[in-house]
Amino acid sequence: MTTNVPVADVAVETSNEPTNYLNCKRGFWSWAATLDHKRIGIMYLVGVTLAFLVGGIFALGIRIQLWSPEGVMFKATSEDGLAGYNQMFTLHGAFMVFMFIIPAIPGALANFALPLMLGAKDVALPRLNLASFYLWLTGTLLACYSIITGAVDTGWTFYTPYSIQTQQSVISMGLAIFILGFSSIFTGMNFIVTCHKLRARGQTWFRMPLFCWAVYSTAILQVLATPVLGITVLLLAFEHMYHIGIFDPAYGGDPVLFQHFFWFYSHPAVYIMILPGMGVISEVVSVHSRKPLFGYRLMAFSAISIGVISFIVWGHHMFTSGQSAFVMMAFSFLTFLVAIPTAIKEFSWVATIWKGSIALTAPMLYAMAFLIIFSIGGLTGIFLGALSTDIHLHDTYFVVAHFHAVMMGSTAVAFFAGVHHWWPQIWGKMYNETLAKISAVLILTGFMVTFLPQFMMGSQGMPRRYATYLPEWEGYHKVSTVGAFILGTGFALMMGYLIHSIFAGKKAKQNYWGGATLDWKTQTPPIHENFDFDPVIESDNIYDYSFLTEEKKA
Amino acid sequence: MSHGPIVQTPTPEGFRPHVVAHHFHDANQEFHSVKLGFWLFLATEVMLFGGVFAAYFIFHGQYPETFVKGGEQLSVPMGSLNTVILLTSSWTMAMGVRACQLSQKKQMLGFLWVTLLCAGGFLVVKYFEYTAKIEHGLLPGSFWHPHGHYAEEFANVEWPNLFFSFYWTMTGIHGVHVILGMLAISWLIWQGGKGRFHSGFSAPVDLIGLYWHIVDLIWIFLFPLLYLVP
Amino acid sequence: MSDAHAHAEHGEVQIDKSLHAHVCSAGTFLKVYVALLILTVLTVGVAQFHFGSANLLIAMAIASVKAGCVMAIFMHLRWDTAINNIAFLGSLLFLGLLFLFTMADFATRGSIDPTMSQHAEPPAQTD
Repeated sequence: MTTNVPVADVAVETSNEPTNYLNCKRGFWSWAATLDHKRIGIMYLVGVTLAFLVGGIFALGIRIQLWSPEGVMFKATSEDGLAGYNQMFTLHGAFMVFMFIIPAIPGALANFALPLMLGAKDVALPRLNLASFYLWLTGTLLACYSIITGAVDTGWTFYTPYSIQTQQSVISMGLAIFILGFSSIFTGMNFIVTCHKLRARGQTWFRMPLFCWAVYSTAILQVLATPVLGITVLLLAFEHMYHIGIFDPAYGGDPVLFQHFFWFYSHPAVYIMILPGMGVISEVVSVHSRKPLFGYRLMAFSAISIGVISFIVWGHHMFTSGQSAFVMMAFSFLTFLVAIPTAIKEFSWVATIWKGSIALTAPMLYAMAFLIIFSIGGLTGIFLGALSTDIHLHDTYFVVAHFHAVMMGSTAVAFFAGVHHWWPQIWGKMYNETLAKISAVLILTGFMVTFLPQFMMGSQGMPRRYATYLPEWEGYHKVSTVGAFILGTGFALMMGYLIHSIFAGKKAKQNYWGGATLDWKTQTPPIHENFDFDPVIESDNIYDYSFLTEEKKA
Repeated sequence: MSHGPIVQTPTPEGFRPHVVAHHFHDANQEFHSVKLGFWLFLATEVMLFGGVFAAYFIFHGQYPETFVKGGEQLSVPMGSLNTVILLTSSWTMAMGVRACQLSQKKQMLGFLWVTLLCAGGFLVVKYFEYTAKIEHGLLPGSFWHPHGHYAEEFANVEWPNLFFSFYWTMTGIHGVHVILGMLAISWLIWQGGKGRFHSGFSAPVDLIGLYWHIVDLIWIFLFPLLYLVP
Repeated sequence: MSDAHAHAEHGEVQIDKSLHAHVCSAGTFLKVYVALLILTVLTVGVAQFHFGSANLLIAMAIASVKAGCVMAIFMHLRWDTAINNIAFLGSLLFLGLLFLFTMADFATRGSIDPTMSQHAEPPAQTD
């Protein structure tokens, strides 16, 4: 296992707390100009939470609008018409995708945990890490500016030619996404270099925790796919300014090419979102079941192969766009390849839990919710990947419910599983576990109530992005709106007890969950330099919990 | 907070020492980490330009006459001159990195100055090309309004604006990279003059050198695709 | 890493000689430079003849040779670590995927379903 050098035992309730990364320096600039990966992780945590809040408010707005068939907030009969609804779902999508989900786990959790797991003092390029946070901030502020000057109403996909014609501020939003893209690229570069160069002594590639593998695979996608999004939004901005015509049929261009470019990034981006979530679940499931991960090597390979396969399936977003039938068949076939590594992961988690010493803690409840919802998301993906059924389901609520199962029900839930899992290590404080369990159940329930009706009405043909609808779907929409508010309650409760715990939570004991990887072997919370000893990994069995029984005996 | 020993790389006479950052074990780990990070950045540059290249090839396949006709309007002598200028600058950059690795400060600064001058020369040539194109109205997209005999030449060509959209976009983004490269090289000259870069610490010169070679690399492909459209 | 560091006192200055970068000879650089110039002349020369679609292939082949020279020698990739080679050359592989599938789309439109024609007729231009 890990090194035998003991960590100084933290005395309970001593008057002067031991120094850690949180209290070693104080003041605004010690945070704003910090190069410490743990503090940057916290700044990301605060940032993405705010973005999530904004995106969530837009989501509730969408659900309120759809409470009645003729709309609640925007009515066709009113002076401004229904246009505001288009802006609302666009901003919901853009904020949630570009400002919350993509940076959430890599920016906040991996920033904190990855260097610790590798026994490193910091990420390889700390200045770049800080720069990537400020790029995120700049991009987000620019996006907010673009809301004020004319919120985009194109959908988060910015499909041409409408995005060229619209009067809203596509240029500043495009620029915001260009900047956010570079923030994501820099985060990815950092993690690749860190995994390659800063592993602890004795830590071979197959002695890295699976979270590191997942983040590594994500980082490859961030580095290779995001630049194509960058050039695409740049060209889109040029279209808007000069009508260069590459994507505009009125000037000889081809809007389908825009979709190719957009999805060359945005399909891998789906895995930029889900892969780190899978990594979090691997850690949580192992620690809270007290069992080594089942099929470690296959899990590692499947993380990488999901990443690679994600580059050759993007055309399944374009089955009704007019790309060639031949390419559609190829994309449909390739899409099914993703099922193999994904199923390996799902089965491995279940096999890890099997006969484990399961603790139904808050992080574990979130992980269980992930396993359920991710199965739904994955299996409904099969209908959408199959060419013929997708023609029927394309652009319906079935698609909406499918990708929310993956992005919200899986990635966001995995993010919250990770937040609850590492919370005692991040803050040295513990939240109220009863409330945490209640909110986990609320979120799972809320998810099901919101999105199962959407699957149903989608399969019956309810189109997405409509501000009003036929009365036959009113029942489904009403249930869905109720579900959204259950979800909202769950998140509000979570926000409440988490913030409360930072200021008034119980002090968390050393290695709160009894994790075996290096992130739990350091002080709680860690010191500025992470380790006061030289971490060494001596065994292949990195998820070895035998030390817990030995501790008990002693 | 614990501080380890201050680790420095060997510093030749007359240069400033370089302290290895605290989270690295040694200078070797630091150098290779930074270098891998930079290669990954260069990979993103490849993907970024790759997108426009993909679009170029697709529309070249759709409207071949447009692209041939458009390419004929560009000046091959000027394009060739710029190619030679950039290749020269790439060579002097490689020599500058070499001088840095050998701690030859004067030679390094000399080569960097020549590189910077070449980059400036490239932009001057580009300026003359751009002004000529603006004068003739050979502009991208909606600004396309060819004057005089140019209007006649493009009368029977499908979407002539599209070729110039590619010309302006590709050379424009490349030009921005040249300007950023000039800023970076100027910083090298400034800091190099103070003796910061030497055999024990050549990473900044090395990496900006790599960046400059990428700028050259992209031009190597842009030149035949735009000026010698096949 | 090295034993020398492990016993160092706080604040002490250590000299670390672990770094060894590859230095290429000036003669090699000069040869590559001359080769690049010759290839530039060649590519301009070849473009004066018309071989049909082969021109594009020839131009790209010459450009690739030039790019290979710059990458291998000027950018030291020949002597660089395997991972740096993979990091950079791997991007070309993924760029190849972008090229492959987008071009396959444009090349095969209408091949199975003739109603999906190559591209729509442009609307009549106003000026």
